[in-house]
Amino acid sequence: MAKPASGRSHRIRHSPEVDLLPVMNLFCVIIPFLLLSASFLEISIIEMAPTEGISTSGAGTTSLAQSEEQQLQPKVIMTQEQMFLGTVFGTSPISQVTQEVRGGELVDTYDLQALSDALEDLREELDREFASIPVHKITILTEDNIRYDNIVMVIDVCAEHGFDQPGLQVAAYSVLRRQLDAAAAASGGE
Amino acid sequence: MSSAPSKRHVPLLLGYKKTKAMVRGKDKKVSLNLTSMIDMFTILVVFLIKSYSAEGQIVTISDALTLPQSRSEQRIELNLEIMVTGDAIVVDGEPIVYVDEELLSQGNPIPVLVERLSDHLEYTRLMRGISDEEEMKVNIQGDVAIPAILLQRVMSSCATAGYSTQNLTVIKVEGGDEE
Repeated sequence: MAKPASGRSHRIRHSPEVDLLPVMNLFCVIIPFLLLSASFLEISIIEMAPTEGISTSGAGTTSLAQSEEQQLQPKVIMTQEQMFLGTVFGTSPISQVTQEVRGGELVDTYDLQALSDALEDLREELDREFASIPVHKITILTEDNIRYDNIVMVIDVCAEHGFDQPGLQVAAYSVLRRQLDAAAAASGGE
Repeated sequence: MSSAPSKRHVPLLLGYKKTKAMVRGKDKKVSLNLTSMIDMFTILVVFLIKSYSAEGQIVTISDALTLPQSRSEQRIELNLEIMVTGDAIVVDGEPIVYVDEELLSQGNPIPVLVERLSDHLEYTRLMRGISDEEEMKVNIQGDVAIPAILLQRVMSSCATAGYSTQNLTVIKVEGGDEE
């Protein structure tokens, strides 16, 4: 006996199947090509600003005919014991040097967060006091045996706060100490 | 024609030659489910396209040195390469100066290096017809452990020789905004 028609369609709907084989073929060609030309290690550069050398007497960083930007140019001073930030407002210690294991070796390390905070404050102060003068240059003044990777880390932190034209000056500890003492005396005398 | 997958285990045969088993169940079609593989390949392709470099690698990093890591975004250009390791200073693949205590005790340009760089600059100007006013650049690849005095001596040697712009080659790392 035939069932009465219910009025509904009982056709089975087949969803059309997508042929994935051409896509697979395409992927099989693309993936080896991309694997060959992929570069997993990206190389970049840090462009250094030309700086005057520092002589053993400690002179060479000051000149009578300095531009306004040069006068406002801050200076990160890295010794084997401490890090300082020298600015137009005075020189202040940032952090003591600690040690950490890097690449299986015990090396000196600097508190980059403290430097970042100090540079942020300096940037705000410069923008407030000397808004018309763009200050992008910064000098990294280091003791002669400071590791290169520490210098690069400091340059990175400086660039984050808009001081993206770093210059490098290197001096012996005695010369740096003399400069720091002179800076302390100058700020104490004001 | 039924297209329902067979519950019986049917081996996947890649050849055209039909076996007895296939002849017996000739109506049974075996379809390989490719969707999950396509998903995986799509993720792989996206990842590879992200790390795809159309330029290729224009610098060769020596195994003798470990470059420092930096968040610098500036792209590297093809310039004269100077490699500075704890043992030697190498210009264009040629060792120029060996690093010793005496070299690290002074802070002036290194005469041998200045001479080599000046020669290279002169040669480049003659061969490529570069004018004197054009800015000459040099890429310095330094090992992470070299002391600052060595780097400064190399940089001042470059400046003395006429390479006014010195670039430090670094390995780019991501995550500039995470702090």
